[in-house]
Amino acid sequence: MTLLKVENLTMYWEVLRGYVKAVDDVSFSLEKGHSLGLAGESGCGKTSTALAILRLLPYNGRIMGGNIIFNGEELLQMNDQRFQKEIRWKKMSVIFQGAMNALHPIQRIGDQITEAILLHENISKKEAVDRASKLLDLVGIGAERIDRYPHELSGGLKQRTVIAMALACNPDLIFADEPTTALDVIVQAQVLKVIKELQHKLNLSMIMISHDLAMIAETCDEIAIMYAGKIVEYGDVTTIYKKPLHPYTQKLIKAFPSVIGPKTELATIHGFPPDLLKPPPGCRFHPRCPYAMEICRKKDPQSAKVDGKYHSVACYLIGD
Amino acid sequence: MGFRGYFLNRIAIAVAVLFIVLVLNFLIFRVFSPYDPTDMIIDPDFEQATKDRLRAEWGLDRPLFPDQFVLYLKNLLTWNYGRQFDQSKSLIAPQMAWRLRNTLLLLGTATIGVILVGIPLGILAGSRRGSKTDITIIGAGLFTWGVPTFFVQLIWLFVFSATWNSVFGAPLIPRSGVVGLPPPEGLLETLKDVAWHAISPICTLIIAGFGSWALYTRNMMVDALTEDYIQTARAKGVKGRDVLFRHAFRSILPPVATMVALAIPGIVTGAIITESLFGWPGIGAWYINALMNRNHPVAQAVLYNYAVLMIGANLVTDLLYGFLDPRIRVGQRR
Repeated sequence: MTLLKVENLTMYWEVLRGYVKAVDDVSFSLEKGHSLGLAGESGCGKTSTALAILRLLPYNGRIMGGNIIFNGEELLQMNDQRFQKEIRWKKMSVIFQGAMNALHPIQRIGDQITEAILLHENISKKEAVDRASKLLDLVGIGAERIDRYPHELSGGLKQRTVIAMALACNPDLIFADEPTTALDVIVQAQVLKVIKELQHKLNLSMIMISHDLAMIAETCDEIAIMYAGKIVEYGDVTTIYKKPLHPYTQKLIKAFPSVIGPKTELATIHGFPPDLLKPPPGCRFHPRCPYAMEICRKKDPQSAKVDGKYHSVACYLIGD
Repeated sequence: MGFRGYFLNRIAIAVAVLFIVLVLNFLIFRVFSPYDPTDMIIDPDFEQATKDRLRAEWGLDRPLFPDQFVLYLKNLLTWNYGRQFDQSKSLIAPQMAWRLRNTLLLLGTATIGVILVGIPLGILAGSRRGSKTDITIIGAGLFTWGVPTFFVQLIWLFVFSATWNSVFGAPLIPRSGVVGLPPPEGLLETLKDVAWHAISPICTLIIAGFGSWALYTRNMMVDALTEDYIQTARAKGVKGRDVLFRHAFRSILPPVATMVALAIPGIVTGAIITESLFGWPGIGAWYINALMNRNHPVAQAVLYNYAVLMIGANLVTDLLYGFLDPRIRVGQRR
């Protein structure tokens, strides 16, 4: 069953000099119980996509078009009150990046979780506190820490608190926005383990936003590679890793160093991501693409399915 | 160090600072002052014997230490302040009580008013950053903050007293004083008359003073509202007003409380120019007069009261901070 279907979502940032085309014609869908990774370098529109779906855009974010269908309902038509009460945090919630700052510094963590529960469900304070304790146990913090303040917790425990808060109302879908940034490698591994366990235990659907391909490979079923506001390649994780088709995906995967084997110079992609205020005509990757052809400079390639159910690529090198 | 240790440590520091202030307050007026207090009463050309007689009257003939210093300490620490350096050697305490009442009425109300106007305006402006409301509040705040208080008061008097008088035949507001002449009969009437006289200085103090409160609060709110945890609160579905007060304002409460606590000592020193301008017999006007007339015990008394309150307010702030911000609680759960 399709949980979330995003069709041609377009979101621009309105700035003095025009529109920054941060999310352009993005489409993907997510089955219940599946996990999707949104990958790409900084500024490619991963987080903007999530914020647009969650209606958390700052004042200058403009949704220019598209459809967001969640549980069979069109979200863009829904009024704010209902969205706030019944959808956000109740049905889909977020694990914010940078747990260091995502928690209120002078509120007890238990109160912060309880607040989220009480805002969406008609239950007593006591029941909410009980559930918060259970959640803290679930993410491995331990219910006895319910009265702690964020500054009394380590980075890893803070991130777990943020995860517990995201789970507060048993959501169907969780957005995880770089859930392991600002944590050291060992703690990253622990937090990832928690996330993976939760996926199994609660049959969570997840959209994982990260630039860390390894992390996405470990936690997700499908992956969407974004470049300059567009999804350039989409498919299940194994296919994308084993047989990347888009030149950008190929280079991105090559740019990840391997821990095993001899030291080699790190592969890089020359050039810089384009200025999204004035993206290049045609394929947005063409200025950096070694295989760029005449047509790439003129016409924007459309995403086309290749072998199999999921795999699709937006590149003229592929298909016809 | 536990909380008890922290508390005792703070108290010890406060006492030490107070002692240093007391010593300096004594030295500045009795030792370093180039002026002889008798100058203002006796013609300097008079012979020395006459001056000495007056100095003996005031106790200035006795050794600085221990006699003068001990008496000075005793007078201040018991809050009876001793006697003035004037012909009648009148007691300071009754004057102080009367003037303190006047000043508290004026500055206490004005300070509360400034806080009650400034902080909400700051929150409003900060929550609507970049809007017309924000720009208006910033502009008004900066303007009234930048313009000297007495200028605002002169304009006020010019409009509501002088101009009103020439247009309508009588001034709208009383020009100066605490009560009208002749004083009204009855308690209620007196209170009404005092309030009527206090309106002008209080309003002008609020107009001239709210800006700093509004701008500080606004800037702290703007910072707080861009924090990630505010986005978390919004995402959770916290309503706009609760985001503003329970999340953003709560997080800036510690520094705001500090500002409030440190504004309190100013209440007892009075507003020197305001009190002079509106003929309000308060501490500020008295203090300036005492300085100019070499009436040193009065100046010392005013400074002492200010120091005690300032040190007290700092002590309270230190303790309050730990209460409002769990991050700086000392000696608790690690």
